[in-house]
Amino acid sequence: MAGLELLSDQGYRIDGRRAGELRKIQARMGVFAQADGSAYIEQGNTKALAVVYGPHEIRGSRSRALPDRALVNCQYSSATFSTGERKRRPHGDRKSCEMGLQLRQTFEAAILTQLHPRSQIDIYVQVLQADGGTYAACVNAATLAVMDAGIPMRDFVCACSAGFVDGTALADLSHVEEAAGGPQLALALLPASGQIALLEMDARLHEDHLEQVLEAAAQAARDVHTLLDRVVRQHVREASILLGD
Amino acid sequence: MLQKREKVLLLRTFQGRTLRIVREHYLRPSVPCHSPLCPQPAACRNDGKLLSAEVTHYVIPDWKVVQDYLEILEFPELQGVIFMQTACQAVQHQRGWRQYNKLRNLLRDARHDCVLFANEFQQHCYVPREKGESMEKWQTRSIYNAAVWYYHHCLDRMPIVMVTEDEEAVQQYGSETEGVFVISFKNYLDNFWPDLKAAHELCDSILQSRRERESENQESHGKEYPEHLPLEVLEAGIKSGRYIQVREVTNHCEFEATLRLHSKFQVRLVSDILIHGMKARNRSIHGDVVVVELLPKNEWKGRTAALCENESEDKALGDAPSEPMPTGRVVGILQKNWRDYVVTFPSKEEIQCQGRNAQKVLATPWDYRIPKIRISTQQAEALQDFRVVVRIDSWESTSVYPNGHFVRVLGRIGDLEGEIATILVENSISVIPFSEAQMCKMPVNTPENPWKVSPQEEQVRKDLRSTHLVFSIDPKGCEDVDDALSVRTLNNGNLELGVHIADVTHFVAPNSYIDIEARTRATTYYLADRRYDMLPSILSADLCSLLGGVDRYAVSVMWELHKSSYEIQKVWYGRTIIRSAYKLCYEAAQELLEGNFSVVDDIPEFKDMDLESRQAKLEELVWALGKLTDIARHVRAKRDCCGALELEGVEVRIQLDEKKNIHDLIPKQPLEVHETVAECMILANHWVAKKIWESFPHQALLRQHPPPHQEFFSELRECAKAKGFFIDTRYSSSFFSPCRVSLYLGCPEIDYRHFCASVTMAGLVFLQAAQHSQKQSTELFQCTYFKDKGPEMEERCIADGVIYSIRTNGVLVFIPRFGIKGAAYLKNKDGLVISCGPDSRSEWKPGSLHRFQNKITSTTTGGESTTLQLFDHVTVRISVQALRCHSDTIRLEIISNKPYVTPNMERPQQSSIVLKSELVKEVTRSVEEAQLAQEVRAKALQEECEEYCQTKGRSLYTLLEEIRDLALLDVSDSCGA
Repeated sequence: MAGLELLSDQGYRIDGRRAGELRKIQARMGVFAQADGSAYIEQGNTKALAVVYGPHEIRGSRSRALPDRALVNCQYSSATFSTGERKRRPHGDRKSCEMGLQLRQTFEAAILTQLHPRSQIDIYVQVLQADGGTYAACVNAATLAVMDAGIPMRDFVCACSAGFVDGTALADLSHVEEAAGGPQLALALLPASGQIALLEMDARLHEDHLEQVLEAAAQAARDVHTLLDRVVRQHVREASILLGD
Repeated sequence: MLQKREKVLLLRTFQGRTLRIVREHYLRPSVPCHSPLCPQPAACRNDGKLLSAEVTHYVIPDWKVVQDYLEILEFPELQGVIFMQTACQAVQHQRGWRQYNKLRNLLRDARHDCVLFANEFQQHCYVPREKGESMEKWQTRSIYNAAVWYYHHCLDRMPIVMVTEDEEAVQQYGSETEGVFVISFKNYLDNFWPDLKAAHELCDSILQSRRERESENQESHGKEYPEHLPLEVLEAGIKSGRYIQVREVTNHCEFEATLRLHSKFQVRLVSDILIHGMKARNRSIHGDVVVVELLPKNEWKGRTAALCENESEDKALGDAPSEPMPTGRVVGILQKNWRDYVVTFPSKEEIQCQGRNAQKVLATPWDYRIPKIRISTQQAEALQDFRVVVRIDSWESTSVYPNGHFVRVLGRIGDLEGEIATILVENSISVIPFSEAQMCKMPVNTPENPWKVSPQEEQVRKDLRSTHLVFSIDPKGCEDVDDALSVRTLNNGNLELGVHIADVTHFVAPNSYIDIEARTRATTYYLADRRYDMLPSILSADLCSLLGGVDRYAVSVMWELHKSSYEIQKVWYGRTIIRSAYKLCYEAAQELLEGNFSVVDDIPEFKDMDLESRQAKLEELVWALGKLTDIARHVRAKRDCCGALELEGVEVRIQLDEKKNIHDLIPKQPLEVHETVAECMILANHWVAKKIWESFPHQALLRQHPPPHQEFFSELRECAKAKGFFIDTRYSSSFFSPCRVSLYLGCPEIDYRHFCASVTMAGLVFLQAAQHSQKQSTELFQCTYFKDKGPEMEERCIADGVIYSIRTNGVLVFIPRFGIKGAAYLKNKDGLVISCGPDSRSEWKPGSLHRFQNKITSTTTGGESTTLQLFDHVTVRISVQALRCHSDTIRLEIISNKPYVTPNMERPQQSSIVLKSELVKEVTRSVEEAQLAQEVRAKALQEECEEYCQTKGRSLYTLLEEIRDLALLDVSDSCGA
């Protein structure tokens, strides 16, 4: 039995998008009052919640403190009800540890950590519903949350995934497309400078096609940026009205 | 702007729980409608295929119609067909990839007036499935909804007919919208296409076979075959190693199959797996990918070694099987490879025998490997003298034979055209003429409007017209000259060898209609008396044929060779303009090469030349031919040194007389020129392949031969042992290079023409079908040849044969004169065995047969015994066994155990001439090889001397090497004598 037809001859994907089109993105900042910063994002059916505490004093052992910059601590978890079958996912399993490390790398590159030496910034991300591209959704949610917390950053970090099917690069893969087993690439981009904060791929892809897939992912990340930028501006506008200016 | 919807699917997991899956579904305001009547072409972005503007209505088939009647929708007469995406997906999900790919190809094909409308992604056409609505009803509803939208989209200017098999839908929607008609498919054909007889017949046959299937499902028969296991079980079994995934290859018998393992599964088992009996085969057909379970070792069986005629009574003959081999049974089929099959309906008497169920007829496929197919038809009597194409629909576990339906008639049995059509269908070759749309893109070349070299091309291409003497060498009467050669001396004394291939890419733009068509045809098929072109004849026989005396575009490879050692100094690739000076045939070229100028008058280029210039030109040509042969010998010697594979076989040419009757079969004489041309082409391919591989490493289509499989050599080794030779097959290089094994195991298919094609049309797939059909057509002509011969031609049918394999009840014989291989029985159906008296004439007498490894002995009750050994020469009589259902087969009968002596001595003399020239060639080549080897060795020795400070001169090793060479020479001498 062959798999599904990921890209039809007419250029449509299974869910009706064309190759370069993103899923619908909706986001909100400042969803929790208790935390320093928080955000919620929906990318298609992938839903993620990010909460930021800090910068604050190092909790736990003091020896972890870095003399010249802030420590970024990221934790990832996914809800038991996030996939089709309910499944308990204990903290500290391999997958969430890896995701936490990736998020940490991404945000160490984006946050101006040298402004807060000997302090700590905590980023907690939870995936409420997983439908492909969880890493990208987590990064995008965390970006908004960090901004909501007012922590200085170099730029937005916008992430998006891209895949490769029949010589065409597909942007923003859904779960069905991921499960088909083709190569998948996750990219976190600082859109203003075009710098790459994180690039991850663990499948085989011919060198000649990498450029094309990378370009598709970067373009998708830039599109995400436009949307996030709109969300941030909207949030600032609402906040300033509340403050009564 | 896209709109987001959600679809909820409920799936059942392997454990049996239901799983709720939510999938997104995005809708857009406009999708391409592909209609010329579209009011907003810009919004619809109609690129690619448009529907024809001349149709009176558009047809929208319902999902069920697409599934069941796709073959009718494939008729080019049916125009303005719109396939809805919903219907296509139904095909994909319920009918599998094979059917879906057929639909996709149909949609891609520019000649068919049909398009796909992505209705599920259009925001007005999409209808979500309601709670409690069945899948079928929802599909029909969304197709109807899309049809209505489409009608309004085209501003109500084009009536739309939706054809459905659902009676309720006809009732419900029939008069709902004006301009959108909903009728049944049968009704549609009757009303709109009353004259399209073929479609009606096809429709009837499909309907009938479906009815049969339905009624059968209701009856509960006893099961004939075990059910196939579900896919998950198979996959798990393959992973755990319990089952093995293989492609089925059927052997000679109907009830026995062998499976060739996919190479990646060869870890555990090295030999083939035997599947014994129809029950164990479990409904798998030749070519399917199946999953096999091995039986316990005590149930293993041996392969039947007896000759078998595919007739029921002969099955009993399978006595004394050979040693047991892995035996298994089929537990599931992963991929069905059903195609169209050619069958013959039984004759009238046989129908009566089958009796009770007149509507079902068991038709016998032309291909022995395919089981009989049950066809439901009422035309069986009318069709009994014809070859007919059928398609298999299903094979239930309750039925002994597969069910199928009738598709079309090919031609009368025994009619040459019909038989050739049979061969084409059996090899899945399509030979429809090129269409108007394809031809209009072609350049013209008529006497009034001759084709000329364009000035732009003249600037970019290298012009070789005045500087190079280019000529082509091809078989007699060849029209598509695709390669030409040139050789000349450069100013610095070096030689320049050029190989020129017609530049097809100039005329065939990538992805043009012609390109797409050529890709589906993949190659030009050469049958024994005709060919089916890959490209239109204006290209293949004219503009892309490097004919003599006209300007042509070409792609060339040119090497600069050292003047004496012929080492390649430089190589140049590029596009050129050439003018071939001579179009030679192989025979003429060979004559010229041997200094026999009597053929000059046959070369048209020389005809209207005066004597003097003719002499000069002739000398020039002969020099070039000679040089070319020299170079080829040298290149070949070098290639042989590195280990090259050489396959020899006998090819037969068919000579037709004026009335197109078969006059004679002539084995193709191997000439040295053949090899020279082939060698140049191999050289060119080698270099081009290298270049392609360097430039496009991931797109290069190269052929790599895996190291030979040791198992395959075992038979060969045994054969050789019978005659006292020992062949070392452990190292493939030692096998291929020093001893050139030329066997009588015919392999006429290897042809360098295919390589040329792959040079000119990048990305061509090498197709075996072409070779198969070529071989089969030759066999057909062979049969026709022997069939027509009356008694006066009796002696023609007696020939000399060589035994190349021994079976329990007969031997396999190869006849070099005609290039025929066949079986000869030593024991006939009455149980009599052959025995040869003192005058070596054979007679049938009662007795018994004893088979040994390399010989077979028949002992009569009288005590006389006759022994036949492997590679013995015998005299055989060739006759034709006419079969109704299959192609005629050649039968051989041993009439004497002595070699055949030709009454007139003309032929042997001829062959001795051939032998002589062959011998000369062989000697020159071996001298060259020896020289080369010497050089290499000397160089290596020198290096070693320098490195290890060894004494110069003869070491023991070289001495031994020389002795070995001497020994080899002795053998070849005695062979030559």
